[in-house]
Amino acid sequence: MYVWIWRRLPGGVPGKLLGSLVLLAGVLALLFFLVFPWAETRLPLNDVTIDHPARTSSSTSPTPSPSGP
Amino acid sequence: MTSTVAAPSRAASATRGDGWRTAARGLGQLLITAGVVILLFVAYELWFTGYYTEQQQHQLTNQIQQQWQGSGPDISSLAPDKVPLGSGVAVLYIPRFGRHYHFVVVEGTGFNDLQKGPGHYPGTALPGQVGNFAVAGHRTTYLHPFNKIATLRDHDVIVLETKTRWLTYTIENVPGTNIPWREIVAPTDVAVAYPVPDQPDAAKAPTRKLLTFTSCHPEYSARERYVIHAVLTESLPKSAGTFPTALLTPPPK
Repeated sequence: MYVWIWRRLPGGVPGKLLGSLVLLAGVLALLFFLVFPWAETRLPLNDVTIDHPARTSSSTSPTPSPSGP
Repeated sequence: MTSTVAAPSRAASATRGDGWRTAARGLGQLLITAGVVILLFVAYELWFTGYYTEQQQHQLTNQIQQQWQGSGPDISSLAPDKVPLGSGVAVLYIPRFGRHYHFVVVEGTGFNDLQKGPGHYPGTALPGQVGNFAVAGHRTTYLHPFNKIATLRDHDVIVLETKTRWLTYTIENVPGTNIPWREIVAPTDVAVAYPVPDQPDAAKAPTRKLLTFTSCHPEYSARERYVIHAVLTESLPKSAGTFPTALLTPPPK
């Protein structure tokens, strides 16, 4: 896979290096700004709230009856 | 030049072996790539998410400062469910977590709210009100406001700054109940955030001003919840220019 990409990149070794870096930056940006933020909402890694079982990870949280006055 | 002659025969004999080799190499590269991506995800969760929270906290700090300078009412005089989701509720100081520790508590405990900072459970009491000011916060990721929650001890203090007051809550067993100052509970145990913790009976009107923190437990897991209870022990008007002594003196070792 990587060999195939390397062969296809133009511009000799310097050009290929530059192209690789650009591709790498693109892939990292895609992961960090799109894939990971999406993935983490699907994983239970960040649950810190107490919640009713039927309503876990929804935007509502336990609403204990409002306090007195 | 000789290669052009030799090429067809070599290619013919080696096609099968080369195919397997290419497939094996491709699979190997794919697996290594998957491993690297998973490591990157861990790095993203643990460190990169903090940048977002830092940015949001900066904005929330500006917002709450403006709010305090404006002519609006102090948050303690509002009904508990009248605060817009995502807005700042109060500034939180915990001397045990260091002199410079402070976070703006945000309204709401949804995923998006908790990305911004520790979140106030909507509908629970507001700072200084009778009832239970309940707050959830990340123990890891998103600047992990409650990372050191397990270092809190009995009689440590938690300070909240609102528009007009400094509110000091002291961690202790909940008076009038048999609830300890620290609990580890199931994620579904909403009773810890009741106006009087573990008293679902609505007729039992709260009389005390409490504070409750929830975070995940064990660290890096979401299997249980770590819970801290505290009681309001001091309420100072900010106008007097006084600071809670808890913020001026380091916590006992």
